Amino acid sequence: MNPQLEGIENLEGTYPFDVRQSYRARKLNRFLWHLRLPEYRAPFVANEEAACRAAGLSDYEVNLVLKRDWLAMIKYGVPMFLIEKIARVLKITNMEIYAIFRGETFEEFLKTRRVPSAA
Amino acid sequence: MARIIGGIGTSHVPTIGVAYDKKKDNDPAWAPMFQGYVPAAKWLAEKKPDVVVIFFNDHASSFFFDLYPTFAVGVAEEFEVADEGAGKRPFPPIKGNFELAAHVAEQLVNDEFDIATFYDRPLDHGVFSPLPLLLPHEPQWPAALLPIMVNVIQHPIPSARRCYKLGQAVKRAIESYPEDLTVAVIGTGGLSHQVHGERAGFNNEEWDQEFLDLFVDDPERILNMKLADFVRLGGAEGAEIIMWMAMRGALPENIRCLHRSYYLATSTPFAVALYEGTDEAPRAVAAE
Repeated sequence: MNPQLEGIENLEGTYPFDVRQSYRARKLNRFLWHLRLPEYRAPFVANEEAACRAAGLSDYEVNLVLKRDWLAMIKYGVPMFLIEKIARVLKITNMEIYAIFRGETFEEFLKTRRVPSAA
Repeated sequence: MARIIGGIGTSHVPTIGVAYDKKKDNDPAWAPMFQGYVPAAKWLAEKKPDVVVIFFNDHASSFFFDLYPTFAVGVAEEFEVADEGAGKRPFPPIKGNFELAAHVAEQLVNDEFDIATFYDRPLDHGVFSPLPLLLPHEPQWPAALLPIMVNVIQHPIPSARRCYKLGQAVKRAIESYPEDLTVAVIGTGGLSHQVHGERAGFNNEEWDQEFLDLFVDDPERILNMKLADFVRLGGAEGAEIIMWMAMRGALPENIRCLHRSYYLATSTPFAVALYEGTDEAPRAVAAE
C-alpha cells in the first residue's frame, strides 16, 4: 500500500489511478491518448469499432468505448484525463461527463453549482 | 546572479482557457475570474521578469504512462502549445532560456534531485490555461519559460514535502546561475476539485481558504499532510496543490501575500495569489 494513500479506500466514488490500473488498461489508455492527434481522430470518427479493433482492444474495452461507459472506464483504470481526449472528439464537455458520473442529468448537476450560467 | 523575485499560484482548469478564447471577460458569470488575474498580470508587467518558472502537471497530453516522469525539467529553446483533442489554441510558442534550463537540470541532479529532462513535448493546459491571463503574447511572450513538470496523475505521486524540497533545490539552482536574471515562479493547479467517479464535482471552500492561509503562515502544517488528506479535504484532483508547494519552496521562508482571489463558479475554483518574500533578516531593534 502506498503510505501516502492510507485511508483513501474509505472515500466513496473515488478511484485512485496508480501503476496497477495503468498497466491493466494500457492498451485502451494508449488508444485514447492517440486521439489527441488528428491522424488518429479521423479513422476513429469514420469507424469507431474498426479503430478500436485495429488498436487491439479487447471486447470489454471496445464496449466501454462504444457504450460511452465513462464510470466503468474509470473503475477499469482509465484516468479522466484520457476520457477528456475522446470527449473532445465526441464534442462532449467535461461537465456533462461529471453529471453522468454522479448519475444525474446535466440540468440536475447544474443545479448543484454556484454559478450555473458559467457552464 | 539570477534571483527569484516572487511567486504566483493559480488554478489551471481548462475552462479558464475556454473563457479566455471566447472573450468572456464581460460575461457576469466569468468577470470575477478574469478580474482575479489582473493584479498578478500587473505585477508581472511592472517587474518584467526575464524568466518564469512554472511548476505544472501534464494531463497525459505530452507524456504517456509507458514512461511517466515524477519530475521533468523542460530544456529547450522553445515550447509549443499542445493540441489536447480540440485543436491547438492560437498562441505563439514561448521561448525557453536554454542555458539556464540546462544549468538548473545539472544543479538539481547534483543536488540529489534525479529529474528527467524533456524537449519537443508541447505543454498543455497545466501551463497554457492560466498563462495568457498573466502575460501578453502578441506577437511574442515577454519572458522565457522554464517548465517543470510534476506527476500528479498516476500514483505514486510525490508528497507535498518532496515538492517543497524540489522548490528549494530549484531556488538554489537559480541563485547559483551567474547571469543577472530576474525570475518569477508560478505553481499551477487546484484548488479543491474532483473530476472522476461519483464524487466528481466535489469542492470544499473552507479547506481552500485554510490552505491559502497556511500557505503563507504555516506551510509546515501542509507539508505534514499526506496526499490522502488532500484527496479527502479537496477532492482527488485537489492534490494538485503540491505544485503550489513546489513554488512555496522556491520562495523565502517568510512571504507576504500581495493579492488573493477565489471564485468558485462550477466545478473548480479559480484561485489566484501573488507572493513576495519579506525581509529575511529579523527586524533590528530601533536604534534609539
